[in-house]
Amino acid sequence: MKTPAIVLAERVLKIKESRAFDIRSSVMPTWCPGCGYFGINQGLNACIQQLELPHHEVVIVSGIGCAGRYPFFTHTYGLHTVHGRTLPAATGVKLANPNLTVYAVGGDGDGLAIGGGHLPHVCRRDVNINYLLFDNSVYGLTKGQPSPSSPLGTKTKASPAGTIDRPLNATLLALTYGASFVARLFAGDPKGITAALVEGTKHPGFAIFHIYTTCVTFDKVFKTWANLKKWVHPLPEDHDPTDRRQAFDQVLEDDFSLGIIYKRPY
Amino acid sequence: MPVVDVTVEVCGMAGDGTIAAGGLINEAMSQIGFSVLGFDSYPAEIRGFGRCVTHSRIGAGEIHSPGERTHVLISLDDEQSKSRVPFLAENAAVFFDSNPPAYIRENKSLVAEVEPSVLLYGMPFRDLATDVSGSARGRNLTALGGFCAVCGAAPEVFRRVIAEKFEAKGDKVLKVNLKCFDAGFRYAAKNFSDRMLKTFAVPMKADGPAKVMMSGNEAIGKAALDANLRLYFGYPITPATPIMEFLAAHLPLRGGRVVQMEDEIASLAAVLGSFHVGSRAMTATSGPGFALMTELITHGVMAEVPAVILDVQRGGPSTGLPTKTEQSDLHAAVFGGPGDSCRIVIAPTSVAECFRYTVRSFQLAEKYQIPVIVLTDFYLGNRVENLPIPEATEDEKADGNLYPDASAKDAYKRYLLTDSGISPRALPGMEGFIFAATGLEHTESGAPNYGPDIHTAMTEKRHRKIQRALADLPAPVEFPGPAGRDVGVIGWGSTFGSILDAVNQARARGRNVGALKITSIFPFHALEIREFMGRCDEVLIPELNYEGQLANLIGHLHRKDVVRLNRVTGIPFPPSAILSKIEDLVAER
Repeated sequence: MKTPAIVLAERVLKIKESRAFDIRSSVMPTWCPGCGYFGINQGLNACIQQLELPHHEVVIVSGIGCAGRYPFFTHTYGLHTVHGRTLPAATGVKLANPNLTVYAVGGDGDGLAIGGGHLPHVCRRDVNINYLLFDNSVYGLTKGQPSPSSPLGTKTKASPAGTIDRPLNATLLALTYGASFVARLFAGDPKGITAALVEGTKHPGFAIFHIYTTCVTFDKVFKTWANLKKWVHPLPEDHDPTDRRQAFDQVLEDDFSLGIIYKRPY
Repeated sequence: MPVVDVTVEVCGMAGDGTIAAGGLINEAMSQIGFSVLGFDSYPAEIRGFGRCVTHSRIGAGEIHSPGERTHVLISLDDEQSKSRVPFLAENAAVFFDSNPPAYIRENKSLVAEVEPSVLLYGMPFRDLATDVSGSARGRNLTALGGFCAVCGAAPEVFRRVIAEKFEAKGDKVLKVNLKCFDAGFRYAAKNFSDRMLKTFAVPMKADGPAKVMMSGNEAIGKAALDANLRLYFGYPITPATPIMEFLAAHLPLRGGRVVQMEDEIASLAAVLGSFHVGSRAMTATSGPGFALMTELITHGVMAEVPAVILDVQRGGPSTGLPTKTEQSDLHAAVFGGPGDSCRIVIAPTSVAECFRYTVRSFQLAEKYQIPVIVLTDFYLGNRVENLPIPEATEDEKADGNLYPDASAKDAYKRYLLTDSGISPRALPGMEGFIFAATGLEHTESGAPNYGPDIHTAMTEKRHRKIQRALADLPAPVEFPGPAGRDVGVIGWGSTFGSILDAVNQARARGRNVGALKITSIFPFHALEIREFMGRCDEVLIPELNYEGQLANLIGHLHRKDVVRLNRVTGIPFPPSAILSKIEDLVAER
């Protein structure tokens, strides 16, 4: 009869043999327990494994914020650049060596506030970069200030009377700027993330993955796990991602439909 | 043999063909065998309206500065040329249109403005052109013909240069231009036979290497091409844009790419991204754009990623004086940005040095894994010199990267602490050396770490490698040679040419003065500079900035206060101002 210890040892051995964790680095993630970023991490790791990308031919470029630490936790090459400059740095990497698969990762502050000026231009240039925008509507690393995607009236220590600026919609922005691949995803659905990333990685142009996620520490009101799970749902089955006008209608009507919203045919 | 050292100006309104005429003079004089240094000025804003002046100093020996007095003025528009009268030398020759359009004739002729000692050569530029071509457009060429005849320059060289310039525009255009030139030449030969100057009728040796006219910006562009640049990222800014435009025309032919980014921050981010994976990239900018880059420069310092950045300085602060020259970005280049962020800063002093040090900056950036800033300025970027066609040697072009040894595979430490401070750098794509480059303080393997010992050791490492770079950087050069001096003049960048002229003139007067050229601004050769200062009673540092930025950097090396000479006039440093300061210092002793 197998003792629990033997069962456990066999499981560990099985995982080791599967090499499923090879994509993880030896540096422990700094994210809080329960953070949505673990789900995104799981989704991207599975994508890299599913596509069988050699780890040394993957570069993850990040800026500053909780998402900025991402490259340290993954066994691929990384470039942890300064705040907001993720996309132009990734552009340099990809143009310099097109054989590399490039993932740019960053939060809503990095991508929509300080780095917001780069988004239209990376869409225009359509360089083959895969951009994962982690949207939790809060500045986590600086302990809870409002972000460009915080809803009107968000109360934080920095906005005690509630915010008076209206939120940005990253999916709508990307569509408007002419991004050639736009997906909206949810950190609570790593499998959905993997599926979209696999398709987006194969897409020859710029691909943006707008991922709703949580900050379990500094947001107890808005994008909580409970709320997001309640709100999100798949795109309608008849959604045609090659139809840009339909994509706009979808995004204007529904903030929480998930999937590949737009994909320009090449 | 008389020493030829003549300054020629062409002045007119935009549309007169002023810049074209000046360019033809430069090229012809270069082909005849003279040294040429040209510096044009044209409307600061957009073309179509305003004064154009070409300024060329032509000599039989080496030329270091533009020259302060004009010996020959060719006026294509008297109203505009009046502004040049105060700069005329005694006995200058002035060529002007003797039958100009009515609006100039009415009390606006140059003739009334000049001193009686000036030689006047009135020619009907427009009429002559109209007679042979049916249009007055070729008036700049008739003026050139007159200048060529009176000054005794070989007309066949001018005709060849005109042919080279206009052959691409078709046979008809070429013939018209040659006809206009000949008409001017014939008119002057016939009418001024009693007043021929023969200034340039000096036999020149035809041997020596073929020379090419090149601006500082073009030299930088060619250097980048020769150094196997792969990617240029930039944002338009005066006066650095000509570098981007030069590369846009040439880099794609060599398989590279010019990408116009959305701002200077994006430009440097992309340059760093490119170098991170091993491709040579660069960006060029001026003060305001450079200011935007400072955070990323320090990222290159911290993450140890190479970059090459050209800063073509203009007047500042802020938007400042976009089309005027100044040397006021030295502080920003050396110290700009947060933290102890030492980097390499090189400042060429001539067009030839623009080429040489731009080529070398790529290797230096790779070898020391650091942003290298090349500081030029509006004047150096836009002035043209004739020089032997610059070529980079294989050694200068060679890959400067130090790659990790195969034995380091799977145990690779990107930021390994070494005696030299240089850690072998792997490139993404190499198997077995995975790491993340980061702007956070980090351990040897690159994991973020804020421990006191780590930060101390890593800060020391980054500074150690930069001090080590001194061995690969151009040492200070002393003119005419090492000796004790009453006054030693130290200079950098485009001002050094003016210093050399002033020192040569002072020496001709018997003053015991010398000059020291500093090209490596940071790190700088403290030992050599201190040794030079030790042999000088007074040390003078002329700079085109108000704060004395080089003096602030190296002044402490002298046993007493260095003497500063600062100007912020927006124009190249006049040698006469330096000479007069030298005389003051000698007199005070």
